[in-house]
Amino acid sequence: MHITILQIILLTALSFWMIIDQLTVVVIGNFPLLVGLIAGVIMGDVKIGLAVGGTLQLMVLGVGTYGGASIPDFLTGAVVGTAFAVTSGKGLNFAIGLAVPVGLLMVQLDVLARFSNTYFQHRVDKYINVNDTKAVERNILYGTIPWGLSRALPVLIMLTLGNGIVNVIIKRMPEWLTGGLQVAGGILPVVGIAILLRYLPTAKFVAYLIIGFFLASYLKVPMLGVALVGVALGFIYYENHNKTIVKGANQEESQEGEDLDDGEYED
Amino acid sequence: MANTKTNQVTTKQLHQINRRWLWSSQICWNYEKMMATGYLYTVMPVLKMLYKDDELREMMIMHNQFFNTNPFIGQLIIGMDIAIEEKEGIKSKEAVAGLKTGLMGPFAGVGDTIFGVIIPTIFGSISAYMALRGNPIGAIIWMLVNIGIVFLRYPILKLGYTQGAKIVSEYSERLNLLTDSAILLGLTVVGALIPTVVTAKVPFVYRSGKVVLKLQTILNQIMPGLIPVLLVALVYWMLGRKKVTSTKMIIFVMVLAIVLKALNILG
Repeated sequence: MHITILQIILLTALSFWMIIDQLTVVVIGNFPLLVGLIAGVIMGDVKIGLAVGGTLQLMVLGVGTYGGASIPDFLTGAVVGTAFAVTSGKGLNFAIGLAVPVGLLMVQLDVLARFSNTYFQHRVDKYINVNDTKAVERNILYGTIPWGLSRALPVLIMLTLGNGIVNVIIKRMPEWLTGGLQVAGGILPVVGIAILLRYLPTAKFVAYLIIGFFLASYLKVPMLGVALVGVALGFIYYENHNKTIVKGANQEESQEGEDLDDGEYED
Repeated sequence: MANTKTNQVTTKQLHQINRRWLWSSQICWNYEKMMATGYLYTVMPVLKMLYKDDELREMMIMHNQFFNTNPFIGQLIIGMDIAIEEKEGIKSKEAVAGLKTGLMGPFAGVGDTIFGVIIPTIFGSISAYMALRGNPIGAIIWMLVNIGIVFLRYPILKLGYTQGAKIVSEYSERLNLLTDSAILLGLTVVGALIPTVVTAKVPFVYRSGKVVLKLQTILNQIMPGLIPVLLVALVYWMLGRKKVTSTKMIIFVMVLAIVLKALNILG
């Protein structure tokens, strides 16, 4: 199946929007699953979009761009992976095998976009000194351009040049690599999970991690059911500790009172 | 305290500030001053109302200093800032600069944990799990939740504006408790995620005469989901070492998958 010009335009626009979305309203940006879903709608195959997006989503759970760190751009990966999965007809594992290297390469362009905006920062600095508020505001908003293009241009190039190149890659790919990538697609979510566990105070709450694991692996409780148990445990935790906060405050007060009494006696 | 300025921020202006923060906080993000331009752009209408000429320039320079926080709740700082500035004017310059740098870190911590990690983990896990089974409902609900969160961001500015610095000290203990309860829920879900989304089958079969031992069956008897747990533990441990980044771990896991597939340990 060939990709149409309209589909290329829509996917390029999606790529421009998804990074702006990520920086502003955060409705689909940041989340490969939601980008994959929309890419799937554009390509006319929602199922593959969901599968590609969902797999990538699990790899980046809890991975954020905090403090300006660049992370693998699996949003772009989801767009390109979904598009080529549909045009090549090679399915999910092929798409993931493509999306992951694309996401890793895109890190460089994220760095470039963040660097480009330093140029506008300097222009802002300059216009502040001459008190030109209009020019200050304008140059701040120009930041949109490097951000948007850093995603839209690579996607446009990959989609227009892609078909031929991708076909060559597929034919040349050896068996050990395709098989290995298939295994990689299965176990890559461990990276996202491990990063998340590193970020959270896992040691403090490890009991709940074990409860969740037990429910899913031994009792085969579906994810929503596990979440319900989690919500219940969260409520119990909140209630119990809220009481101790209130109690603690009261105790402090009464202790202060006692201290005062003591003082009076000693006087 | 002598109130020299009669200028007061109107509700309409608060809406304008909210809109500006939503769309510009990170739009000119750069390595040099990160979100400084976003903050400056957001408060510009207030600056123009309160200050003229040299004062305006001085305050623009102050607001153009390094700033980085969580965009979901950073407007709480802005709310406090404008409440102080409209009362004290240029005299508040140092106090506001201190307030901004003092609060951006703690707010980034709480906001990134809740909006950047916990909510995406819970919704991402459940909807990716459904997506891999071809069901888009989870993804659609997640998107709607994200739209809802956009509207929840609006009252936070007003809260900062009316309550000022009081809330930070007063609610901090409950806020921590709430964050802890949310983390606990997140970890329960992550625990369930490990055996359900990491697919690692061991095809190895041991044959000796009439004895046929399937390694996977033996592993399952020890603990279902043992391989995923071991892999998560391995990556978790490696991430704790110096100079190990998430990008390096993704490459490591891909190479590991190819090697283990070639050795017929995973498949």
